[in-house]
Amino acid sequence: MSDIEIVESLKRDLGARALEIANPDRRRIFLKVAPADLVPAATLLRDKYDCAHLSTISGVDKGETFEFLYHFASPVAVISVRIEIPRAEPRFASICPVIPGAVLYERELQEMFGVTVEGIPDGRRLNLPDDWPEGQYPLRKDWKHVRPEEVIPGGKS
Amino acid sequence: MNFQIPIGPQHPALKEPISLRMTVDGEVITDADIRLGYNHRGLEKLAEDKSWIQNIYLTERICGICSHSHATCYVQGVEKLMEVVPPRRGLYIRYLVSELERVHSHLLWLGVAGHEAGFDSFFMYTWRDREIVMDLLEMISGNRVHYAINTIGGVRRDVDEGQKAKILEGIVTLRKRSEYYFRIGATEPSFVARIAGVGMLSKEQALSLCAVGPVARASSVARDVRKEDPYAVYDELDFELCTADSCDVLGRVVVRVKELLQSYRMIEQMVKGLPDGDIVVKAPRKAKPGEVVSRYEAPRGENIHYIKANGTDKPERLKVRAPTLANYPATVAMLRKGFIADIPLIFAAIDPCICCAERTVTLVSAGSGEESIVRMSDLRRRALARSENAPVKGNAVWPF
Repeated sequence: MSDIEIVESLKRDLGARALEIANPDRRRIFLKVAPADLVPAATLLRDKYDCAHLSTISGVDKGETFEFLYHFASPVAVISVRIEIPRAEPRFASICPVIPGAVLYERELQEMFGVTVEGIPDGRRLNLPDDWPEGQYPLRKDWKHVRPEEVIPGGKS
Repeated sequence: MNFQIPIGPQHPALKEPISLRMTVDGEVITDADIRLGYNHRGLEKLAEDKSWIQNIYLTERICGICSHSHATCYVQGVEKLMEVVPPRRGLYIRYLVSELERVHSHLLWLGVAGHEAGFDSFFMYTWRDREIVMDLLEMISGNRVHYAINTIGGVRRDVDEGQKAKILEGIVTLRKRSEYYFRIGATEPSFVARIAGVGMLSKEQALSLCAVGPVARASSVARDVRKEDPYAVYDELDFELCTADSCDVLGRVVVRVKELLQSYRMIEQMVKGLPDGDIVVKAPRKAKPGEVVSRYEAPRGENIHYIKANGTDKPERLKVRAPTLANYPATVAMLRKGFIADIPLIFAAIDPCICCAERTVTLVSAGSGEESIVRMSDLRRRALARSENAPVKGNAVWPF
């Protein structure tokens, strides 16, 4: 399937649920859906478009909203599904029932952006330490790293 | 009685510090849990404060074995954002280094696999030959680990006629030796019996757990970014996608061995067909707002970078997904129902660096809480002892 055929086919299958479809480069397709349509879209991509492989999930803090991109790879193209989550209500459904390999990426989103992935099979932190303070989400744009002041016992020599 | 065995976090068999907690029933692993973050450096946040050029050197330092993979993946994405088209000679040199890096990584891994299976002469031979390709890389780039050959718009160093001859000479030696070792492997039934049927990962599991690279290809998932998403020069090169269907450590050895031979082919094609011209074009300092998904087949599998630009000289967001992370869910599946004695071997089959495996493992009794310290070398000795007593598997056939 060529890129144009995939775009046309996605438009037919998703109808009004596809908010935006772009094909900026060869074998790169960006599709935007509402957060509620994410799981049906992932199921459709897996079953019909041979996108069983989720490469990764990337996130960007855009101020009022968080933008998450699910990069699905098929043998012919990368279809990146975009969702926008309001910062005031950061909750959306897990796609682990559809793609079990997504669990590590969803755990990373939870700890880095402070969002809640509902129905995640394993909600622990991924990279951050166990004693990391609550409410600190490093990949939010307003988070700045402050190096704790070094205390040398007995003072500096 | 159930025991829990923590492996790591400081120096397990994997290159990165990682903690694996295995629940065992006797000698059989019933469950495995993985804990990450012991080497978390906050690199994605740091990249947002650095300029496009500075980030090349930052991404290069993500990994010490496939340093070129991350830098190339980043650079080819930034070139798309900046609408810079590197000259063809520059691209050929860049991907020549990529394939040389794959050769050095796979040779390193083969030696490690031999070592973990108790075939130490195999380890010494492959690592001796790895020096040939390391010397070639040093000759081309001036460095052995962080080649620093990439820049936005091309590469930083040219290759002359004398160097081309030396590369071809090195490849001839490497190919001859590789084929010789494979013949040794074919007449070494104990090696095959040790690695066949260990660390099983079915095709369905590999697909659903999003495994990448040789791990996926050894479970007959024909997935290779160079074939399905041919970036830069790969649609001009003649090579085959290598898979195996045995779904075990033997399959992973076979895939990497076949890939070595394909890499030699590609290196020869690139050196012989090296186009004339410039190696680099000037790139702007800033990128227009936009986003790009850049994929690259690293020695260990698919590497993907998502880069978003906001019109300044710094990225808005740089997301890096290294191949090893994608293989962790599959690792857990491989360890389940395996033996304690196979842990070093299964580890070795995922990641090519086990030089830090000479570490301690704590065995904690779940009932009494008693701890006993076992060195990784003892664990390996147990592994060897077990395989000595195991019946030779009749269906284990070395495919060369």
